[in-house]
Amino acid sequence: MKINILKTVRIILALLVFVPLLLFFCDFTGTLPLPFSNLAKVQFVPSVMSGAAAVVIVLLLATLLFGRVYCSVICPLGILQDAVSWFTRRGKKKNRRRKWFDYAKPLNILRYSILAICVGFLVFGIAEPLSWLDPYTNFGKIAVNIFRPVAVGINNLLNWTAVRFGVLNFYHVTLHTVTAISLGVAIFIFLVVGTMALLRGRLFCNTICPVGSLLGLVSRFSAFRISINESKCTSCSLCEKACKSQCINSKEKYVDASRCVACFNCLDRCKSSGVNYRFAWTKTRPEPAIIEPVKAKEFGMTRRSFLATSGAMAATLPIVPAIAKAAAKEVDGSKRTPITPPGSTGLKHFREKCTGCHLCITHCPNQCLKPAGFEFGIQYAFKPHMSYYEKAYCNYNCTICSEVCPNGAIQKLTPEQKTVTQIGIAHFTKERCIVYRDNTSCGACAEHCPVKAVMMVPYKGSLTIPHMTDELCIGCGGCESICPAEPLKAINVWANEVHKTAQKPQEEEVKEINSEDLDFGF
Amino acid sequence: MERREFLKKSAAVGVAALTFNKLQAALESNSIMVEKAASPDLVAVMGGEPVQLLQRALQEMGGIGKYVKKGQSVVIKPNIGWDKKPQFAATTNPDLVGELVKQCLAAGAKKVSVFDNTCDNWIKCYASSGIKAAAEAAGATVLPANDASYYRDVKLPSGLKMKSGKIHQALVEADVWFNVPVLKNHDGANMSIAMKNYMGIFWDRMYFHNNDLQQCIADACTWSKKPALNIVDAYRCLRTHGPQGRSISDASTLKAIIVSPDIVAADTAAIGLFNQVQTMDLGKVTHIANGEKLKLGTQNINSLTVKRIKL
Repeated sequence: MKINILKTVRIILALLVFVPLLLFFCDFTGTLPLPFSNLAKVQFVPSVMSGAAAVVIVLLLATLLFGRVYCSVICPLGILQDAVSWFTRRGKKKNRRRKWFDYAKPLNILRYSILAICVGFLVFGIAEPLSWLDPYTNFGKIAVNIFRPVAVGINNLLNWTAVRFGVLNFYHVTLHTVTAISLGVAIFIFLVVGTMALLRGRLFCNTICPVGSLLGLVSRFSAFRISINESKCTSCSLCEKACKSQCINSKEKYVDASRCVACFNCLDRCKSSGVNYRFAWTKTRPEPAIIEPVKAKEFGMTRRSFLATSGAMAATLPIVPAIAKAAAKEVDGSKRTPITPPGSTGLKHFREKCTGCHLCITHCPNQCLKPAGFEFGIQYAFKPHMSYYEKAYCNYNCTICSEVCPNGAIQKLTPEQKTVTQIGIAHFTKERCIVYRDNTSCGACAEHCPVKAVMMVPYKGSLTIPHMTDELCIGCGGCESICPAEPLKAINVWANEVHKTAQKPQEEEVKEINSEDLDFGF
Repeated sequence: MERREFLKKSAAVGVAALTFNKLQAALESNSIMVEKAASPDLVAVMGGEPVQLLQRALQEMGGIGKYVKKGQSVVIKPNIGWDKKPQFAATTNPDLVGELVKQCLAAGAKKVSVFDNTCDNWIKCYASSGIKAAAEAAGATVLPANDASYYRDVKLPSGLKMKSGKIHQALVEADVWFNVPVLKNHDGANMSIAMKNYMGIFWDRMYFHNNDLQQCIADACTWSKKPALNIVDAYRCLRTHGPQGRSISDASTLKAIIVSPDIVAADTAAIGLFNQVQTMDLGKVTHIANGEKLKLGTQNINSLTVKRIKL
């Protein structure tokens, strides 16, 4: 038996990327160091969004040299699909023949139309189509909304058992950040991608995924690629049966390099060394003449459809922002405009840059970042927003979300910048306040305010009542989260559509006290 | 039939024996209360480092062995409410907590646990305050208290506004506990000292705020299992902008400690100390008067045996 070195290397590299990334997405303890987020920062779409040109160029060059290795060893959704099909052993040697793969024609119209739509919209600052189809983002949604809750469930079961035995060293975790909509979307994506992977291998990557289609355009011309040695090939179709991209046509002795994800599964199948991964720079077109017309035809179709789609898109473009604007006019008022995380600079920037991978949601230690549903319009769907409820508010000294965001949607902040970034302003409604309503002490809001934008001022007798200083407020929601007034809170944060800089709390004079001079005082 | 009867009876006897053991244990711990009369009701020590202050105060109170017996499980409840470093005086001094852990273990405690139901994220609070590190270094178990599942229902029959609540399991099961607050100004309750520190043993603080905070604090302190001692850390105090403070300038170093089994007296004395650096009318901190009404202790310090020591 031949040892398939390339395949082994591919699997090892894939696991080295996939396992840490998956763990980083599922980590509910904050144990893994933040540099793990670099694995998200080398993904294609995040690099495009954050403008990390170097990463994009390296990925494109790698594809030009080695083919779509990105899809096999870097893209977590690609590796997830491999994992799914690995479970069913589809395409494996020892499997029954009907569970093997067969060559399938490329769905060029579909894949290049989708790519064109994504690119076209992106050029005009609308990232929605790309964010809904981006493989990394979709993987993130699956990991955060399905795998992570499973991990937390196991932890809680362990803890439950441990507590029964008097061991209190584990701790229970209650997840508040998985909403019905985010879970529904994640399950939908997982089912679609999973089913496609089960039945047709990398069909998703070769028809729907815009990154796959783009890299496919490059890998057509890649220097190293899988090719069939015609003199040795017996057209036995063993390689074709192993190809999860369904891109080997053994009859025509042709490999579609645009769909090959460089998984190398075919290499050790061939009994006559007829399939090789080798330097083939000059052979940009498949040799057999029979393929030519088919290919040419498909190419023509693609170009035509590309033009048609872009034309149609261009026509609808002015409408989209108009609709968005109309929607934006409707959503005005507390909790009708989403509060975006500190570092996102404002609603517009965040909406354009965030693809909704939910990595920040995973790492927000206070669970105050929650995925939106459709309450802020279709453009904000599934994106995180600041949500203030019991114990969930933005920790004063915390900058984690700005450090993990791979898209540059939340830009990196220093703690100094963070503590004066005003993402919203709290508004106090006296009529709902416990102190006004019940004539009893409360002050929970002021207690939680880290900048003393809410201060308790003398009210009746020994009672004090909240008073706001708007310029100091950073919109962290400490006050709102803890306000005990029901059913409506007496203090609510309203979003700043464009983030502002809050006034730095004035340092009071240090009161020099010499403890030697003090007496007991009682 | 007879065998069944025999088994039933022997089971009943077994249960009775267990209960008797518990009763005896309870009686033994009651005997501590009798001995206490011989030592002062309240000790205040000034002018030293946290460890020295605690050592001297405990010595004056009759030594740790008077409160912690061999094989007992001990809970220490500091204030770890905020994600702040010790110099902010928003949390109890970590050295003091560490020393108390050490003394409890030296006295033969089977286990010493430390926890607080924090306001800020608990992992950050435990780390920033330095208490997790100090307590663990001294040999304590630092427990999470961030989820309702750790809490058990308790009755507070003498409470006026709060008749029941959920208290952390570790404390419900403990033999002895120490209430170790830090001396702070507080926006809601005006002051946060020993009585206010009780809020952190309960799960639902919203209930306090919703149902007359000042009365609920006093009601909380009526729980039948009283702390062996209230140890008020006044090495630093938070003068203004409590309970978390805005900057280090809100804190002052007093280098003091106040220890008493009488929680009302401890808070009253602490306010006296506090008034030398920041004015705070005792009458404004109404939970203290409410506590006196519930017979939790006395505000009349002069009626007590008090030891004041300057190092």
